[in-house]
Amino acid sequence: MTTLPPILMTRPKLIDLARQKLPCSSRLIPSAQLIKEKEDIDHYVEVNFKGLSKEEVAAYRNSYKKNICVDMLREGYHESFTELFALMEQWETLRVAARRRSIFWTQKPLEDQLDKLDYLYHHLTRAEAAERKGHFEEVYNNLYALACFFDNAEDKWVRNHFYERCFQIAQLIKFDGGRKEAEAHAHMGLLYEEDGQLLEAAEHYEAFHQLTQGRIWKDETERFLNMWACESLLRTYRLLSDKMLENKEYKQAIKILIKASEIAKEANNKKMEGEALYYLGLAHLAAEEQNIAMTVLKAYSKISTDLQDDLSLGRAYEAIAKVLQSQGQMTEAIQYLKKVVNITKSNFQNIDVVKASTMLGDIYNEKGRYNKASEYFQQAFDTTVELMNLPLLDETKVHYGIAKAHQMMLTMNNYIESADLTSLNHLLAWKEQRGDGDLEQVLPQLPDEDCESLKPQF
Amino acid sequence: MNVIYPLAVPKGRRLCCEVCEAPAERVCPACTVTYYCGVVHQKADWNSIHEKICQLLIPLRTTMPFYNSEEERQHGLQQLQQRQKHLIEFCYTVAQKYLFEKKYAEAVPAALHSLRFRRSVYGLSSVELVPAYLLLSEASLGMGRIVQAEEYLSQAQWTVLKSTDCQNATQSLLHRNLGLLYIAKKNYEEARYHLANDIYFASCAFGTEDIRTSGGYFHLANTFYDLQKVDLADTLYTKVSKIWHKYLNEHYQVLSQAHVEQADLLRKRFVNDTGLDEAQEAEAIQILTSILNIRESTSDKAPEKTIFVLKTLVMLHYLMMNSFKAEEYAIQALNLAKKLELSDEEQSNIEELLHLISAEEEHPIT
Repeated sequence: MTTLPPILMTRPKLIDLARQKLPCSSRLIPSAQLIKEKEDIDHYVEVNFKGLSKEEVAAYRNSYKKNICVDMLREGYHESFTELFALMEQWETLRVAARRRSIFWTQKPLEDQLDKLDYLYHHLTRAEAAERKGHFEEVYNNLYALACFFDNAEDKWVRNHFYERCFQIAQLIKFDGGRKEAEAHAHMGLLYEEDGQLLEAAEHYEAFHQLTQGRIWKDETERFLNMWACESLLRTYRLLSDKMLENKEYKQAIKILIKASEIAKEANNKKMEGEALYYLGLAHLAAEEQNIAMTVLKAYSKISTDLQDDLSLGRAYEAIAKVLQSQGQMTEAIQYLKKVVNITKSNFQNIDVVKASTMLGDIYNEKGRYNKASEYFQQAFDTTVELMNLPLLDETKVHYGIAKAHQMMLTMNNYIESADLTSLNHLLAWKEQRGDGDLEQVLPQLPDEDCESLKPQF
Repeated sequence: MNVIYPLAVPKGRRLCCEVCEAPAERVCPACTVTYYCGVVHQKADWNSIHEKICQLLIPLRTTMPFYNSEEERQHGLQQLQQRQKHLIEFCYTVAQKYLFEKKYAEAVPAALHSLRFRRSVYGLSSVELVPAYLLLSEASLGMGRIVQAEEYLSQAQWTVLKSTDCQNATQSLLHRNLGLLYIAKKNYEEARYHLANDIYFASCAFGTEDIRTSGGYFHLANTFYDLQKVDLADTLYTKVSKIWHKYLNEHYQVLSQAHVEQADLLRKRFVNDTGLDEAQEAEAIQILTSILNIRESTSDKAPEKTIFVLKTLVMLHYLMMNSFKAEEYAIQALNLAKKLELSDEEQSNIEELLHLISAEEEHPIT
């Protein structure tokens, strides 16, 4: 084959005319020469006019997303490209899925968020370059920076993606004694915790805890990593045990909480230890092992006293009172609850005051001492009024009302039972007026002790 | 019968050569609708494509039979178009296969046919013409005619630039060829730009991990290799071989699963299938073999990678039912693995492959 046929081309009419008319252009210019001329013109334009280089033309013609991708690939950052491309695709699918759910969804496509694209480009390429050289620590830092950048409610999945990448990379970093690995475990733990997969979260936190044990690493905010590990681990354990208690798996919950309290003890942080003991005590209570619960809670109250932490002391007493109540030792329970009320009142912990008072009221109510009960319920009610908490207000209102009714019922019963004329008159008088608390004003108050024998039978 | 006399042809009817469009002096005796300027072109065309499409050309180049009704006429026209479209695809694939086998001269007539039919079906300024231009440019490039290749590519680029609805796949092909052109011209800067574009468009069309994207990566790797950026090229080669390994491994697993499940049933034959067309198979062989060559030349650094490529090649040849080559590569891989004292799992993997291949050889497909 010596020659190939010439290419058929569509030429605008004008060019054909010009070709025929102009004397300077011979009719048959080989296209090879035309191409060469075009190249010369391109070169001339590029040199002599600013803003007309091929890159700039491409930047103008194409989308920013494409330019960034092409830039990456040109420099050989193909892994960054793959990652960015996958992210963009996922972004788009999420966006479409979310748009279907609500019309007013306003998230922009990633292609329009130039700052984010730039940030991704910058860090991804640097991470890849570092990875090629084997500087895994730098890779980690870059990926971590990206994860931090996307740490907001909307882009959470992007952050999670980079946390996972960090985790993979961190396992390759050996010479820093596992610090990065520990941090990566912490992030993974957080990720799973947010996702509600507590078991996996606990696993990661355990690894985190183990890696940081005995180290004096601190993070940017001067916080010990080990402390952080303990806190997160305890939090996860608590959530886990809460879930188990809900499902009535008491033994496992207690096992986990014992582990938690041991970890807290090792961490040498009294406050955390106390906290762990508190939840352990509650779990024992739920499992109806009152004696163990009692000892655990006593230990907690001792720690609280040592720390002079009134709030936790209040909580301890409250829990103890609950245990006593379930054991039927009402007098002791009342004692503890009174302490709680005093402590919380002096600390202005209104909600706790309400809780304690309600409990006290309940106990008195059960014992049939309605005066006392209504007194405490009133206290609870008054405190909630200050709190402006409507559901709580309604609840205490009801409690207060019930106690009050009980109180009135007793005296009324008395009058009905005595069945003489004066009593009848009293009752009729009350019935005609039917004011709040009138019965007490009208009728002589019965002594508290008698009430016990006159407990109404419902 | 073979020779015609131009002066004896009816007036106004110009017969021209199928290959170069010069006045014709010969005719193909089998179909009598194809003309040539001389024996050289006739032979070239016969060897390239005419042998395969000779009879198919007859209905296209004779006048349509007379139909009685409009309906029949429409039907006839539609059929004609369908035949043309079929020929377009067929010629295209054949030409592509030649190109991957590096038989550039043979590819030209096939590509020309594809271009000619495209022109008659879609018109002169359609994007559909671009793939044919690209084939021709690639063939020219292979024969070392850079200027001619550039001519075709400029035409293709212009067509794409003018059209508003060009598919990503076509754009990717265009940029790949432009990249190859600039590699041939040793303008690596431009080449990288175009190859990057190629990968981008291919990713948009097929995804980043598709075998159709791998070609762009491969050429980009070659560019970096020529630029002495060996580590960069290395990561890209790894990526390409991973893409192919993943693809072939999937097919291989399916097949071996079928073997295991029905081993004793009637000794049924299984069709080994790569799921690729001929051109893609040729591309796979070309890409993987050249990666293997590069790996072997630097195998003292990372022999695992050589084994990886070898394994991929074994699977490819096995699936293509080329068990002789597959066995050759498998033995090579096994020897290398033994020499390096790799883990038993790796070795047993290769042995299993080898076993499968030899089983295939004992019962050759008739």
